Amino acid sequence: MKRLCLALTNWSHALLALPLVLAAFAAGAQEKPIKIGVPTAVQLQVGRDTLTAIKMAVDEINKKGGLLGRKLEYVTADETENPETGISAIKKLVSDEKVDVLIGGYTSGVTLAQLPHIASSKTIYLGVGAASPSITAKVKNDYDNYKYIFRVGPINAAHQARALVDYISHFVIGELGYKKIAIVGENAKWVQDLVPVLSKGAKEVGADIRLTELFDTQTSDFSPLLAKVKSSGAQYMIVVLSHGSSDVFAKQWHDAQVPVPYGGIDVKSMDGDFFNRIGGKSISEVAANFAVRAPLTKKTIPFFDSFKKASPNYPVYTAFFAYDAVFLYADAVKRAGSFDTEKVIKEIEKTRLEGIVGEISFDEFHDVQTGPGKANLIFVQWQEKGERAVLYPKELRTGNFILPPWMRK
Amino acid sequence: MEILIYGAVTSAIYAMLAVGFTLIFGVARVLNLAHGSFYALGAYGTYVLTSVVGLPLWLAALLAIAGVALFGVVVEKVLIRPLRSSQLGVLMITLAVSLVVEQTLFLVFGSEYRNVPAFVETKVSLGGVDVAGQRLLTLAVAGVAIGALYLFIQKTRLGSAILAISQDAEAAKYMGIPSDRIFSLVMAISASLAALAGILAGPFLSVQPSMHLLPIVKAFAIVVVGGLGSIPGSILAAFMLGYAETFVGYQFSTSWTEIVSVLATLLMLIFRPAGIFGKRSAF
Repeated sequence: MKRLCLALTNWSHALLALPLVLAAFAAGAQEKPIKIGVPTAVQLQVGRDTLTAIKMAVDEINKKGGLLGRKLEYVTADETENPETGISAIKKLVSDEKVDVLIGGYTSGVTLAQLPHIASSKTIYLGVGAASPSITAKVKNDYDNYKYIFRVGPINAAHQARALVDYISHFVIGELGYKKIAIVGENAKWVQDLVPVLSKGAKEVGADIRLTELFDTQTSDFSPLLAKVKSSGAQYMIVVLSHGSSDVFAKQWHDAQVPVPYGGIDVKSMDGDFFNRIGGKSISEVAANFAVRAPLTKKTIPFFDSFKKASPNYPVYTAFFAYDAVFLYADAVKRAGSFDTEKVIKEIEKTRLEGIVGEISFDEFHDVQTGPGKANLIFVQWQEKGERAVLYPKELRTGNFILPPWMRK
Repeated sequence: MEILIYGAVTSAIYAMLAVGFTLIFGVARVLNLAHGSFYALGAYGTYVLTSVVGLPLWLAALLAIAGVALFGVVVEKVLIRPLRSSQLGVLMITLAVSLVVEQTLFLVFGSEYRNVPAFVETKVSLGGVDVAGQRLLTLAVAGVAIGALYLFIQKTRLGSAILAISQDAEAAKYMGIPSDRIFSLVMAISASLAALAGILAGPFLSVQPSMHLLPIVKAFAIVVVGGLGSIPGSILAAFMLGYAETFVGYQFSTSWTEIVSVLATLLMLIFRPAGIFGKRSAF
């Protein structure tokens, strides 16, 4: 029965993804405009922010006369969080809309399912949401077929795991002195990629891993899990969450007053409205983010401010990368002097572009590089009244660590 | 101890869902796939009335339950009644209702999770186990609601009419029982129970458009195990399933809990298709 329900819901999602041609700047252009296809989960903030950011970038470029004399426009298709719908979104964009470039993505499982279809359409794909290293591994393993795929952001799950290990080693152990750690994650593709790297790394920096547990993404009751964490004697809980469970997780952690503070990678907790929409129950949670309104590059603050004018919230990560991806594509086309896919790919590979979170450049996997001055993870804590304080890296710190209210003496 | 308490809370929610589901089947022979939508609407209704309209929680909850009951009655009168002679027709129309509700929630609220405020914010320690007050409240309210329903059916004239119809609809009709009105009443009760479950569980479970799937899957599993149409059967099965899931979550891994109900359904269908208390096979 569930399968039937699901099948029908998916089908109706596909119907919802009817074409939304949003940019109508083509009027003055001589040649037909360049079409950007945006496959994303439009129901979620990551998706809506992707669209807002792409609109901002497209408007800016069109205002300056477009790209090689042609205007830019964009079309979107709802890929949801479901691989089958994701494939139809790609098919719609490349076959019906005949887009020139694809910018989007969120769920790794969806992107992986889309890859063969993107590759066979020979369309450049700039990923801005999915983090699984398996996506870009295809480029290295089968360059001729998959050279169209690039990841502009976020940094891949393996890099995120290393950033998380740094956080554990320098902050959780180094500053807070919590050595006993529990690792809790949801059973999703990118988490399966990330957790082994994470627990190995954490052990190497001296953490005592008391518990490692992955739960099904459909889980709605975390009390058994939270009770296990509590009885494991862990002093700190590292989480790796993305698909929906974050809200319920935070609520149940708060309501049961679990005496273990938590933090880690929690994608939904990157949303600007996360704190308010769960009634402030994420207080003291530390969530990794890719950027905050701080002078990371000279583009960061202006982007945050102009985004805030176009949208009720501050942007989530897909927005930074989607905005950068449009400029990155434009930059590569300009250098190539043509829209020829092969030539543009060669230029994208050579990209050195100052983005919102740092300099963007690609490795031989077509994966965005990380390191000083490039994209990195920043660890941000939810504090009183939904304020966010950067805790780590130290040089960006804007506030001090707080404990959950029930653990304060 | 943890298993005992948390298992009881899970079971209580399941029982509220399954009793309503089995009641409307037992009485009106309606296999209501929109049952989960009542649960979702209860939670969303309370969310809108508290967060958007700004009503106090108890009033919002009562209004939401009344609204959902009314919605249930309308669905029964307008959509289900003309099709009731065909099991398949009822199945399709209720499935359609659940999809329409889900998509409407998607369009209006998006797929983000919403917050239903809790009635009780405090934490209670029971025998060394920390339990959120809201969960204990859920357990208590579920007990009271199901108990009241039981008394209503056993002790009142209307209750006897419901029983009569469930035993033999035709004979009941000859005795002058207005079956259509009883069907509406049962639908309202069934919808309110589901809405109540949604409101109580909303604060600690998820509130999002496809939340109707969980209750319908669980209710289905429970009534198959307990016997479709049997209220004591579904209460017993709700507790079996609730405890089995909690036990698996504690002793093995949380990633295995979701498979328990599917497995229970499967085994029951193979070995005893009528369920524990069922008189005959429902399918």
